[in-house]
Amino acid sequence: MLLTLSWLVPLVGALLLLLVGNADGRRDGMIRWLALGVSLIAFAVTLGVWAAFDPASAEFQFVERHSWIPQFGIDYFVGIDGISLLLVVLTGFLTPIALLSSWGSIERKVKEFSIFILALEAAMVGVFISLDLFLFYVFWDAMLIPMYFLIGIWGYDRRVYAAIKFMLYTMAGSVLMLVAILGMAYLHSAATGSYTFDLLKLYSLDIAPQTQMWFFLAFTLAFAIKVPLFPFHTWLPDAHVQAPTAGSVILAGVLLKMGTYGLLRFSFPLFPEAAAYFAPWLALLAVIGIIYGALVAMVQPDMKKLVAYSSVSHLGFVVLGICAMNTQGMQGAVYQMLAHGVSTGGLFLMVGMLSDRRHTRLIAEFGGLKTVMPQFTAAFLIMTLASIGLPGLNGFVGEFLIMLGAFRWAPAFAVAAGLGVILSAVYMLWMFQRVFYGPVTHEANETLTDLQPREWAGVLPLCAMALVMGVFPTIFLKPMEASVDALVLRMQATQTVQVEIPVDRRPDDERRLTTVTERVARR
Amino acid sequence: MGLQAYLTLAAIVFCIGLFGVITRRNTISILLGIELMLNSVNINLVAFSRFSGDVTGMVFAVFTICITVTEAALGLAIVILLFRVRRTVTADQLDLLKG
Amino acid sequence: MMDTPFNAVVPMLCVVFAALAVMMAEAFRGRDEQMALGGLGIVGLVGAAVSSMLLWNRNASSFGVIVADNFGLFVTMTLVIVGVLTIMFSSVVVRRDGLPAGEYYALVLFAVVGMIMMATANDLLVIFIALEILSLAVYVLTGIRRDDPRATEAAFKYFLLGAFSSAFFLYGIAFTYGVSGSTRLDRIGAFLAAQSMSDSPLILVAIGMLLVGFAFKISAVPFHMWTPDAYEGAPAVVTGFMSTGVKAAAFAAFTRVFLSAFEPFSVDWAPMIWILAVATMILGTVVGVAQTNVKRMLAYSSIAHGGYLLVGLIAANDVGKAAILFYLLAYAVTNVAAFGVIALLGTRDAANDELRDFSGLWHGRPALAALMTVCLLSLGGLPPTAGFIGKWYIFSAAVSAGYYGLAIIGVLTSVVSVFFYLRVVVMMYMEERDPGLAAPAHVGGVGMVALVASIVVIFYLGVLPTRVLDLAAESISTIF
Repeated sequence: MLLTLSWLVPLVGALLLLLVGNADGRRDGMIRWLALGVSLIAFAVTLGVWAAFDPASAEFQFVERHSWIPQFGIDYFVGIDGISLLLVVLTGFLTPIALLSSWGSIERKVKEFSIFILALEAAMVGVFISLDLFLFYVFWDAMLIPMYFLIGIWGYDRRVYAAIKFMLYTMAGSVLMLVAILGMAYLHSAATGSYTFDLLKLYSLDIAPQTQMWFFLAFTLAFAIKVPLFPFHTWLPDAHVQAPTAGSVILAGVLLKMGTYGLLRFSFPLFPEAAAYFAPWLALLAVIGIIYGALVAMVQPDMKKLVAYSSVSHLGFVVLGICAMNTQGMQGAVYQMLAHGVSTGGLFLMVGMLSDRRHTRLIAEFGGLKTVMPQFTAAFLIMTLASIGLPGLNGFVGEFLIMLGAFRWAPAFAVAAGLGVILSAVYMLWMFQRVFYGPVTHEANETLTDLQPREWAGVLPLCAMALVMGVFPTIFLKPMEASVDALVLRMQATQTVQVEIPVDRRPDDERRLTTVTERVARR
Repeated sequence: MGLQAYLTLAAIVFCIGLFGVITRRNTISILLGIELMLNSVNINLVAFSRFSGDVTGMVFAVFTICITVTEAALGLAIVILLFRVRRTVTADQLDLLKG
Repeated sequence: MMDTPFNAVVPMLCVVFAALAVMMAEAFRGRDEQMALGGLGIVGLVGAAVSSMLLWNRNASSFGVIVADNFGLFVTMTLVIVGVLTIMFSSVVVRRDGLPAGEYYALVLFAVVGMIMMATANDLLVIFIALEILSLAVYVLTGIRRDDPRATEAAFKYFLLGAFSSAFFLYGIAFTYGVSGSTRLDRIGAFLAAQSMSDSPLILVAIGMLLVGFAFKISAVPFHMWTPDAYEGAPAVVTGFMSTGVKAAAFAAFTRVFLSAFEPFSVDWAPMIWILAVATMILGTVVGVAQTNVKRMLAYSSIAHGGYLLVGLIAANDVGKAAILFYLLAYAVTNVAAFGVIALLGTRDAANDELRDFSGLWHGRPALAALMTVCLLSLGGLPPTAGFIGKWYIFSAAVSAGYYGLAIIGVLTSVVSVFFYLRVVVMMYMEERDPGLAAPAHVGGVGMVALVASIVVIFYLGVLPTRVLDLAAESISTIF
């Protein structure tokens, strides 16, 4: 029940807001508080789920199953394991922050804005908790609608173009996944006589290698567009740059993770043989994405675009970790998803604050902000360093684990990815230097106000989270351990049967290595 | 004469009608073409009926005649309406709706 | 209900009587007397709905040519819904535009009679008569605004191509009769099944001709030429009516004829329909992208939807047949509502159906914009709407019959179609109101009730489709 509440609370909240009459914007204040309240309740629910979660078990927990469309074996079937748990919590965590960020910047149609954000949260949580492929697809597609409106109505100049591009790109990928989902349900009915979209039953479905390849490609295309993996990333800079701050925070913080989550939950375990076959290619794209994203980020004049391209680079790490298919890689991937959600979400939030103040996001327009806005600079520095992956901050743990996993799998990829880490330091610090150091070059910058209490309310939790995740990674690694192990075992079980593996990957070894990395991380 | 002959006749009449519909510019001529096509079917129906000794085809033909008459009536009414509004009966000049 | 030979025609009779009553009422109406003629029609349609429910699962048959099997009754219910919604929207439009109420409602009702007859007919002759009943009524409805040159032109074009296709259809029937010696679908099926191996050229000609006739009626590419013109020129509410009712009735008959009588020859016709389906889906969406008139755009969209329905027909399995029924219902409700919005936005002098007429609608009429958005999203097949379940059902039919290619073309074209649906959404939500435009019309009363009701149905079918899916599955079990 708790799990259902976690997506039902925001949805019901959105529907309640719909009933609040606000034709002339007189109740804007009340609506903002209401929406924030709802999102905080939803966050509390997700925290409750975490509290009640049993980290020792690799099984799905809080499982709920109700028959929905029995003719096709479709159930309302939800549950979470260690992988999805933290993503749900992340969603709950970022939504109030996104709402807070809009208090100053969204003045038009506040009610509709809040409704769309809450609806979006409901759909995102739904994606992470669905264990029925049909249900998953419904949430996956339904999520597009509020995001489309958020970008299209409250975005910047080229918002309509960006919104449509976002929608069509994502849909183009996901409809092919729909065909693959239907194909699997059909194969299941051919094998057992009944349709099912139950993920757990489909896990054990025996699919011919040739078919696996096609299905894997269909699924992976959908997720690769969402991630976004090079070369499917072109929608992302547009969407990010044009979206309102709250939209960018959620887009970077949660939406992109749906792609990598999909790889982890669906593409790889459903089609292990195809995954093993395609993993090097995916990893190659990931590494290209890491370096390409970093290089393009370096030359961006626009801060928001820079952060957007840095997302391409960071998400490349996640995909690389998944492709390594060992414990470090996968754990690192999940950890990096969370870390990126916090740090990039934070960066977008703060770039948004600058843009609210100056109505520009061009790096050249700024300079020397350190003297004008010292508090803001400090917070921004934390986020920058977190994004770079400085030890002691959240980005480090994930990247380190991923590199470790990648190195054990294919050292060449790890080396190339290492280049990406260096580049990320270059572009982030360079931007930081140009914006915050030096003399104040632009008159308008001299009178900028520093962080307001309301803004602190959004920034502080993010900074704190970046530190906590960097210093105590075990808190977050612990719950996912059992699930990741189970996933790795599952992947390897098929591989040892089907293909020769170059590296010995015994889970015991992996376990020991993880603890080493934890120690490293804690230091 | 065998069934074949009637069927051929019907097919020829049908094709003449079809040709008229496609090539004619005048709406009245197009209507005539359609009438030809519809009525060629009656030849078929009656011929089939006659050669199989089954009366259904005849009955069908009677229905068809009724329906084609109503169609012709309605068609002419629409053409008259069109002429009143547009002052033309040439199909090529009906180009308000395009895209 | 007692078992009499008239049972199967009771739903139709209800509507016929309502139509006659409307005509009588109109004849005896005082000069300036207001009469709820539409209400009379709705009573008749509700009667048809109730009698269909009572006939459910009884497999009644009248005179051997009208069968009230579940398949026919399901379509009948769909048509009744279309009819009721149309009348509700019309009540606003008729008064606003000063259309002749008596004739208008009578024609709508007679068209519904023809549609129901077509959906329940079990005889090619009856199908042809039904087709003509509904076509003649719709030709007139298209041109009901007699002083509007566009409407007149649309009526003329619609009439020409309609009559033209009837000729093909009739020719096909004649050949079928000639080969099998009967016009009854069950007898034709039995006859063809008995000698399915001897490929007589005559029967192929018959199938081809019937296919062309049906393709015209469901506006499959390349027989779609009449559709955009007729849809654009007709009053919006009539367009909504004919784009759903005519299509539903034609598809019901199409399905019945090809999946029962001509089933033995499916090897021959399936590839032909495959080509039709692909061409229809692709052209409908691709050309739709280029339109600036919303009515015309929705015309192309309705062509594309015909393509999706054809996919269900090709799949020809149980899933496919039931999917056609469900899709027809989902599409019908959504499309009538979408055209209803356009109709309600129009005024007596201006149709207000260009894309820019929708600009900034959200600011002036937020409820109307939201309702239109739901319709468009449902047409685009996004969850959680009826359109999504419909598409999903259709494509699962295609996949389970092994037609992966069709399914992939289908889903990709539906993405393209989302693009042009979104253009309207963009106009409504993301553009400011064009300053040259008058404020959008006020919508209230019956029109709004009808819209809200359709939206409720759209969400009901999208979120809790189980009950209706069951009905659709039951429907196909009885006939094929």
